[in-house]
Amino acid sequence: MIKEGFTIMDYKINKINDYKWEIEKNEKYGMRVPGIIFADRQLLDHAASEKTIDQVINVATLPGILKASYAMPDIHYGYGFPIGGVAAFDEDSGIISPGGVGFDISCGVRTLRTNLNIGDIKDRLQDIMSILSFNIPKGVGSKGKIRLSKNQLMQLLKEGVGWAIRNGYGWEEDKYFIEENGCMAGANTDFVSSLAMDRGMGQVGTLGSGNHFLEIQAVDEIYDTGAAESLGLEKDQIIIMIHCGSRGFGHQVCSDYIRVMQQSAIKYGIKLADRQLACAPVSSPEGKRYYGAMACAVNYAVVNRHCLAHWVRAAFEKFFGKSSEKLGLGTIYDVSHNVAKIEEHDVDGKLRKVCVHRKGATRSYPPGNKDIPDKYKSIGQPVIIPGDMGRYSYILLGTEKAMSESFGSTCHGAGRLMSRSKAKRNIQGSELKKELFDKKGIVVMAGSMAGLAEEAPQAYKDVTRVVDVTHFAGISKKAVRLRPLGVLKG
Amino acid sequence: MNSKKVGKKYKYIDHLSDIGIEFYGKKLEELFENAAVGMFSIMCDLELVKPQEKRNIKISQKDSCYEDLLVLWLERLLYLYEVDDVLFSEFKVGGVHKKGRNLVLTAEISGEKIDLNKHKIKIAIKAPTYHMLEIKRDDRYCDWKGRIIFDV
Repeated sequence: MIKEGFTIMDYKINKINDYKWEIEKNEKYGMRVPGIIFADRQLLDHAASEKTIDQVINVATLPGILKASYAMPDIHYGYGFPIGGVAAFDEDSGIISPGGVGFDISCGVRTLRTNLNIGDIKDRLQDIMSILSFNIPKGVGSKGKIRLSKNQLMQLLKEGVGWAIRNGYGWEEDKYFIEENGCMAGANTDFVSSLAMDRGMGQVGTLGSGNHFLEIQAVDEIYDTGAAESLGLEKDQIIIMIHCGSRGFGHQVCSDYIRVMQQSAIKYGIKLADRQLACAPVSSPEGKRYYGAMACAVNYAVVNRHCLAHWVRAAFEKFFGKSSEKLGLGTIYDVSHNVAKIEEHDVDGKLRKVCVHRKGATRSYPPGNKDIPDKYKSIGQPVIIPGDMGRYSYILLGTEKAMSESFGSTCHGAGRLMSRSKAKRNIQGSELKKELFDKKGIVVMAGSMAGLAEEAPQAYKDVTRVVDVTHFAGISKKAVRLRPLGVLKG
Repeated sequence: MNSKKVGKKYKYIDHLSDIGIEFYGKKLEELFENAAVGMFSIMCDLELVKPQEKRNIKISQKDSCYEDLLVLWLERLLYLYEVDDVLFSEFKVGGVHKKGRNLVLTAEISGEKIDLNKHKIKIAIKAPTYHMLEIKRDDRYCDWKGRIIFDV
């Protein structure tokens, strides 16, 4: 166990309060700022035991980093940046790092509400899941129902969901409930490689595999009645949650630019503690090119989730024999939790443009913020937190405190507890599937039983513990708890 | 374990979020081949993949080291797997050599069109990473040894 105020393994941890800890700035490691970890004691000890704090320290060495290298309570060991890491860099003197966004650019979560409740579906869950499974392209190497030409893909990358809506996917109003209204500015296809284009043409509207999923969930508990009303949610109501990202297109964009930035780091004299942290100044030609390509991948990811939502609507229409409008299948919100964005934040009393990297972290904007939909102006931005397939997921709300404490950021999920190989050794996918059904009535459909074992609830931290930290630290606020009824995995 | 004696090509390394391999080779060419075998073995059982479809690959990278070339090589294999729908199981690296300022690799690779019923793919790999990436000579067990972590 880590003792605060003592130097353990060459770094010193100071307790700020029960939910916030400081890794003291140590120039020996080249730290330019301290580290800040939002965690309770148990989560902190876990992070320290797996050397994740070393990764928080490594990020603190990067040029132009402001205030601190942050870690959210779902922090776990990644490669380069920790998963659950947040770092903001000055737009003029700071860097942008593809590794600080990750390979699955704009991996994120979309939620749809319905006007159904548990009673409407509980006896027919298996049938609905079968129809969804048939309608949703998923699994390793899955190809979509949409095959795009290069020109069509270029339009999609520039326009985001505007392209999808124009082509008959989704509703016009959906875009108001997506970060950046479904189209990230600055997307420039000139900076995307032909390899990324090749990989992107066949995968629009595919769920993929790994930790990506589609779930039917029920509202299990409401913490904030007024907020739940604004979200259009009440107890036992059915919602749909879609978790996926930019597929091979985003992976290729990230790979291309990590390679470019191996050279940039040398060119700009940036010392790297880990080669995966490769970066270039935000204002450099390399930095701008990456930003333009990354924005394309963000647009790809939101269109991907948008098309999946379209097919969810189609499946529900077919099953219930009613239009998706009549079924109330509106978008609650869509968040990206692997992204870098230029945002304005208060730094030492001055508003500055900064490049905020969120790698496994979610934007958490407060009530009244100009970038959140009018519908939610009074409650704050919905923050969608997927948990694990056996316990809970949450909808949180952004707070003013997140703006001052964490560059408007909070956690993104439960965070891994067990390595994939350990999960596979200890858990049988088929037994897990049976147990979830027998004990909790959860219907699980998965393409791979080994893949399912890796995503078992016990392989993850308890998401309730994680969101409680963000709630008590004040960087997001609990609104609604959701529990899974049906789980679709790639 | 003496990898040279038992002819071990690679072994898995545990990583919390992702998965890695350590791989071996008497020559650099073999090292690159075994890294590819290790990567595709993470994705599926290679014994089920027939070497029917052939591709020739030539990659080159300026001002780079063996590690950089390795990442590029594995990325290119993932690209071909994804775009052509082919799982690869046999890799013959013809050469890894310097040409001016470039490091060049040529290879012939073979595999089979993906058949989801037959191949039972275990997991998708997003990309090879530079985290903990290493290639070095290891005289105790074999001549070359490498390590790479994949994002899965």
